[in-house]
Amino acid sequence: MKMKHILLSVLMVLLCLTPIFAAGAQEVQTTEKVGKTVNVYSIMPEKYATKIFSEFTKDTGISVNFVRLSSGEALARLIAEKGNPQVDALWGGPADTYEAGIPEGVFEQYSPKEADKIPAKFRSTENYWTGIGIIPLCFLSNNEYLKSKGLKVPTSWLDLTDPRYGQSLQMADVRTSGTATERIYSLIQVYGEDEAYEYQKKLHKNIQLYTKGGAGGAMPIATGQASAGVFYIVDALDIQQQGYDLSVSYPKEGVTYGIEGSGIVKGAKNLGAAKVLMDWASSKRLGEVMVANLINYIPTRTDVVVTNPALDMSQVKLLEAQAEWKGDNRARLVERWIDEVIQQ
Amino acid sequence: MSTTRVEHTRRSMAKRDPVLFGTLVAIWIIFAIFIFLPIIKLLSTTFVVDGSISFTNLIKIMGKSYNIRALYNSLILATAVAVTGTVLGYIFALAVTRTSLPPFFKGLLAAVTILPLISPPFTSSISLTLALGPNGMLLRALGITDFSIYGFIGTWISETLTYFPVAFMVITAVLNTMSANLDDAALSLGSSRWRMFRTITIPLSLPGIGNSILLLFGASLADFATPLILGGHTFPVLPTEAYLMITGMFDLKGGASLSFLLLIPALLVFILQRVLIGKKSYVSVTGKNGAKSAFGKLPHLLTAIISAVCAITVVFILYLYAIILWGSLVKVWGVNNTVTLQHFKYVFAHGKKAITDTLLIAVLSTVIGSILGVVIGYIAQRKNFFGKRFFEFGSMLNYALPGTVVGIAYIIAFNQKPILLTGTLAILVAAYVFRYYATGIRSVIASLAQIDPALEEASLSLGANSLRTFTHVTIPLIIPAVLAGMRYLFIHSMTAISATIFLVSVRWTLLTTRILESMTELQFSQASAFSIVLIIIVFVVDAIMLALMKWSTRKFTQQESISYEKIGA
Repeated sequence: MKMKHILLSVLMVLLCLTPIFAAGAQEVQTTEKVGKTVNVYSIMPEKYATKIFSEFTKDTGISVNFVRLSSGEALARLIAEKGNPQVDALWGGPADTYEAGIPEGVFEQYSPKEADKIPAKFRSTENYWTGIGIIPLCFLSNNEYLKSKGLKVPTSWLDLTDPRYGQSLQMADVRTSGTATERIYSLIQVYGEDEAYEYQKKLHKNIQLYTKGGAGGAMPIATGQASAGVFYIVDALDIQQQGYDLSVSYPKEGVTYGIEGSGIVKGAKNLGAAKVLMDWASSKRLGEVMVANLINYIPTRTDVVVTNPALDMSQVKLLEAQAEWKGDNRARLVERWIDEVIQQ
Repeated sequence: MSTTRVEHTRRSMAKRDPVLFGTLVAIWIIFAIFIFLPIIKLLSTTFVVDGSISFTNLIKIMGKSYNIRALYNSLILATAVAVTGTVLGYIFALAVTRTSLPPFFKGLLAAVTILPLISPPFTSSISLTLALGPNGMLLRALGITDFSIYGFIGTWISETLTYFPVAFMVITAVLNTMSANLDDAALSLGSSRWRMFRTITIPLSLPGIGNSILLLFGASLADFATPLILGGHTFPVLPTEAYLMITGMFDLKGGASLSFLLLIPALLVFILQRVLIGKKSYVSVTGKNGAKSAFGKLPHLLTAIISAVCAITVVFILYLYAIILWGSLVKVWGVNNTVTLQHFKYVFAHGKKAITDTLLIAVLSTVIGSILGVVIGYIAQRKNFFGKRFFEFGSMLNYALPGTVVGIAYIIAFNQKPILLTGTLAILVAAYVFRYYATGIRSVIASLAQIDPALEEASLSLGANSLRTFTHVTIPLIIPAVLAGMRYLFIHSMTAISATIFLVSVRWTLLTTRILESMTELQFSQASAFSIVLIIIVFVVDAIMLALMKWSTRKFTQQESISYEKIGA
């Protein structure tokens, strides 16, 4: 009798939990049934990834399930999920994120079919990742704000330290954003490391806010809440294309560029489909899709015709920084930024 | 020796109260899986270096002055938010329960207060930035130029607005279940309204106030979204730093160590709350009530101040939401003000899965979480057993920890056999249940604290067992508190993001992550449209629950007067 009561109450509480377990079980079944899918973490913004993947599905019949994550989140997840990978591929995001993942053992080596058509500096030396697009840094500024302060469109890194900007710049936080670490790489290429940090301390005096995402400052600049900032070209052009009165310019000292990568996750459950995605990404097709949809990455395939004049790099001084060097030094440079720049 | 005594106590408890014993065993198992296992896995990530226990991770973190400042800031902010949020919540609760303001105004107050609560934190922070940020609309209108919202001020205002509805809900529930006869007695014995307010209303609402302070302190301590947007680099707080450390620097150990620092203040507040509120008796529902009468009204001056504060707050909140609504309806924010429905079309075309997923997850979490919340709250308040304090604290642990950390802990714990849950619906539901059933537990405890155990003892001595007593006597008495907990659970399961941002998968996605996505992708109008859809869904469901709450309170008070008549006859 009493035993019955105990069992009854245990059952009652456990019953409360059955729906979630049942739902969990159902779900595993459905994924096994669907054959031609590939699961992806996309660091590339959702609005671009949606368009690109729908073209991929049209071409290959393979549908793509994806979640958009920031580069740090994506890598942290891939590492945490190593024993049981939830996705087959990582899509987009800076190449140094991939480099940081290689020693953690989260990527699978694969050389896509047409990889040799992509210049070697846009690929992993050991075939862990393949570049799908290039994005230089640039300045984005609000024309109305510049006019009101009598400022010209910035064309030098030094212009941004002009006191007339007075705490109105917004750019990304080095701790969370690949755009921001790219900024440090650029400055080191221009000034050397120590001087680059001296410069950043001066720049810091004009900063209104460091944003979490690389593009976070673009909207405030567009609406006049902030004056200017440093962005990847893809984000700067995207907000300009929405119709805001903005200028996109480059520093004469030069900028480095980010390489958007793509790679297969080790232990991928849909390895075949993931390989098809990588093959497709290394073909001319991806570049053409990006050009047609106004997605402003410069294709890594040099044989893709780019129509947007803003992506013509012939007048821009592009500086080289190896992805391996970036991956190896990132953590140290971020630490130094926290210690010297934001804590001063 | 002590072990045998414990054994003995357990065995005798199993005999004396088998239902309680069985329930406890079941709950301990659930706690072990969903609360302790993830935390232990996370702690081992923090403290185990190369197979042995080491403090190097923690020492490294403590060595940086920036992190110490973050700890200090977190405590200051949480205290400020707990105080202002509770005061504002109390003022609103008084306006609704103790004034003769027109019903329309009271309805407006109740409706508007839930707006900040039912919208994702990112959205309200953004509209606050547009209003009070640099070059903000409201600042321009008022001609203020030297105000900076980034830092303590902005975070404080935003969190107060976001969390005071929690205080409002908890305190209203307590004010409503108070006995009006005490007010009557005081007034008929010649007490002034001030004196009545000071010596009856305030002391009797202490459990609600304490509860609210604890909840708000915890909520602010764990909130990472608001400081992320409004804190800027001048005002670092621990959850934000932990989040940045994990997501930005791939440093799980560092992030885990930082959040470990958060556990200490959370623990302190919990103990404080027990010491301050636990001892005194605030029993006012005794079953021996006289005829039900209306609550005594507040002094006129107080009523005037309360009305003014409520009106200003309501107007400000409505203004902030008007910005979001306007944003969802214009073609391009700030450039092209043509009114269009294109953003809503996009939401229903590309966000349908997110909407249905979110609803399913929220409903499951609410149902499961409320059942667990009632059972746990009841046991914690009414029963004595070995390890009770640890039981109560354990139940709240996921709530006290920053969501970011819970999310990462869940990934680590549930990514390998035997409990393989990553990528499933179960992991999202579990994360919400064990984080947000806390209000349910707290309201049940606060509500039970007002109900004389004699009512239950009567049932027990008349031969009902503890299960029957619980379902037939206790539950009907605490239904308003349970519904308050359910509302909180549902709202948070629809809108919270801090833990689940790590748990969404390619198969299960949430509306909040879509909103955050649209925000980071500069699709302000889309983000606004997503937010409006989410807010409407939550608002409708919440209105239904609120109506149920009112209905059950009325039913409960009617029963009371009927029983009195019987006794009187």
